Amino acid sequence: MSLLQIHDPRSAPRPIGIDLGTTHSIVAYVPPSGGPVAISDCDGELLVPSVVQYRAVGAPLIGTPAKRGAVDAPIDTIVSVKRFMGRGAADPETRKLGPYRFATDEGPVVKFAVAGDRVVTPIEVSAEILRELKDRAEDELGPIGGAVITVPAYFDDAQRQATKDAARLAGLTVLRLINEPTAAALAYGLERKKNGRFVVYDLGGGTFDVTLLELDDGVFHVRATGGDSQLGGDDMDRLLAEQVLTALGADRSPGRVRYALDAAREIKHALTTSERVVTKLEHDGATAPFEMDRASFDDAIRSLLDRTGAASRRVLRDASVAAADLDGVILVGGSTRVPAVRAYVAELFGQPPLTDLDPDLVVALGAAVQADVLAGQGDRPEVLLLDVLPLSLGVEAMGGVVERILPRNTAIPTEAAQVFTTYADQQTGFEIHVVQGERELAKDCRSLAHFTLRGIPPMAAGLARLEVRFRVDADGLLSVSAKERTTGIEQAIDVKPSYGLDEADIERMLLEAYEVGEADVVARTLAERRVEASRVELATNKALAEDGDLLDSNEQSSIDAALIDVAKARAGEDARRLQATIDALESATHTFAGRRMDRAMQRALGGRGVDEIATDTEHARGIERAHEPLIRSDDEP
Amino acid sequence: MTSPFEVLGLPVRFGIEPAVLETRWKELSKAFHPDRHVQAAPAERRAALNRAVGVNEAYRALRDDLVRAQTILSLRGPDASHQAADPALLMEVMELREGLGERKAQGDRAGIESMAAQVRGDAETTSATLAQSLDETDDLAAAHTALCRLRYLRRFLDEVELALEP
Repeated sequence: MSLLQIHDPRSAPRPIGIDLGTTHSIVAYVPPSGGPVAISDCDGELLVPSVVQYRAVGAPLIGTPAKRGAVDAPIDTIVSVKRFMGRGAADPETRKLGPYRFATDEGPVVKFAVAGDRVVTPIEVSAEILRELKDRAEDELGPIGGAVITVPAYFDDAQRQATKDAARLAGLTVLRLINEPTAAALAYGLERKKNGRFVVYDLGGGTFDVTLLELDDGVFHVRATGGDSQLGGDDMDRLLAEQVLTALGADRSPGRVRYALDAAREIKHALTTSERVVTKLEHDGATAPFEMDRASFDDAIRSLLDRTGAASRRVLRDASVAAADLDGVILVGGSTRVPAVRAYVAELFGQPPLTDLDPDLVVALGAAVQADVLAGQGDRPEVLLLDVLPLSLGVEAMGGVVERILPRNTAIPTEAAQVFTTYADQQTGFEIHVVQGERELAKDCRSLAHFTLRGIPPMAAGLARLEVRFRVDADGLLSVSAKERTTGIEQAIDVKPSYGLDEADIERMLLEAYEVGEADVVARTLAERRVEASRVELATNKALAEDGDLLDSNEQSSIDAALIDVAKARAGEDARRLQATIDALESATHTFAGRRMDRAMQRALGGRGVDEIATDTEHARGIERAHEPLIRSDDEP
Repeated sequence: MTSPFEVLGLPVRFGIEPAVLETRWKELSKAFHPDRHVQAAPAERRAALNRAVGVNEAYRALRDDLVRAQTILSLRGPDASHQAADPALLMEVMELREGLGERKAQGDRAGIESMAAQVRGDAETTSATLAQSLDETDDLAAAHTALCRLRYLRRFLDEVELALEP
């Protein structure tokens, strides 16, 4: 952190990239000149341990101070909260070796019972970490703009939504959620400007991601993704911790367990640079000598590595790519420092992996690069990240069977429609249970949410034609809309997430977090809407300048009128009225937007015929053979 | 209703280079992907998102040859799309399944593999017929028959793959 920081009050807010990791988190940005840089604290530390300690009195401790106090307050110190995001209280993971006290109230969302009689969800815990990163970035950069936050490619909808909700609670605007391996490749790709096919092998503290990425003329395309969201360096620690606990005796109190895990981690780190570790364990009166050599450690973790091998082979199969076709293997995540892991990866893919960039930082650096691109700042080469649905989406049908709507590895954003009908006369409501996963039965898949359609026009049973649209956005998040076809009436949808917070919960938490009066919340809303109004005015004027010729004079005047309304409302004090004028402007520019898209399409195609493309493609860099399609799901009747 | 071909700006043809399809998809993704419109006004963001979804859906449809063929048939002649399967074809498939069942029971992997090779050859010929009837002779009836046959053969090959799994 610089001592003297004079921020230009007129400078644009800086976009940032955040790696919200299981073990530690990092925030990075791209300075005006040069490559992305991680932001350190006053002590020069780049990594923020993803640890939050709740205290009976005072605000929670975050990061290194929390980590220090972990041994003494194991129940109140939440470590590796990422493993609990989007998880249910009944999941096996929550019962694994971990010294937390879980609140046993109603609802399936995991809740930690911590000091000060507080009950917190993983989302709130993650929000504390994000807030810390935000503060660190603001200290360094001044006002910050949006953030790109990374998630494991294998994260399902519930986990992604939880991440986005945590960002919201922390007061961050999320520009995009991007997959960690894609971010890593972004960091590598720009520096090396390679085209080709890469595997990103990401073994972090808590999750394992393996992804097949294709780089082609600035477009990153995820061909296939896989992994294990319950596999990481933490599991290596757990295996070692068992041995430590046994060495120290029968005590398995939370404090002892926390000590054992910390000791195990240190031993693991030491074995990266030494062939043998000899140490003395000491906790709460018990002491014991302990030693371990690399060979025994390698044996102990072999089964974990084999699980990564199985997931990796599956991904290659899904993408119809052989290991010999790969142009490189990128290593991400602190756990890839373990020599046994590097050797295993080299053998698995038949080539030595790339390790140039710091495996702890590379994801955050890539996120910063993408944040920069999305915020439209700087002159970064144009990159585009095309992602896929990591897990199939389905609907629970009669008999508990899953009817697949969207297969995994479908490019996103995407949409699928299904038509349902009613089974009782005059039925006005309808419930849809959406699940994610590859199994045949809904109970073996992960429940995502229950969507209740309301307002179905009453008819005889079987007559209604409910067209339900399932849309997945570029962040991988699902939204549902429904319309009854014969009447054209749209249904209202109530969403009840299976493992997340609903809108009401979040708004309540936001109010609580601010701890301010109603009036201040209103003022904040007005300020935020004013910023949005300016932005929209700017964007609309820019659009008119570029493509105003697409409009006739009547259409032009109605848009101008709408713009004037927004400007007037922006100068006023009524937030609701301001929002109404913004919405009205959106309606007024609807047709204009459509025409702009048509023009964009013409521009993209450049008037080239198919034959020209074929010739161009042959000569294009990096594509030497016809591409094989992604694996198709069996979605025939 | 815009056809996937229109969405991607491609001529309605069964025979298409996979590389060309992919290039087109990427070009249009560059134009419409939400990440390219982050700073735009809401109406434009929404329009772009809808187009991006359409582009991905069109890509999904055209990438699969069976879906692509069905799409062309639906465009050329809505009546031709819903014919019942030829009983002779059903008989053939049933016999193939029985043959597979027998060889499975006997653990005759070599036998299964030779069945698969034969069916694969058949599928290739059928696919060529399908291409020809759609792109050259414009014979919708023949195309439909070929498509139907190809579907059943592919499904059978899926069963064979399952049977060969350890």
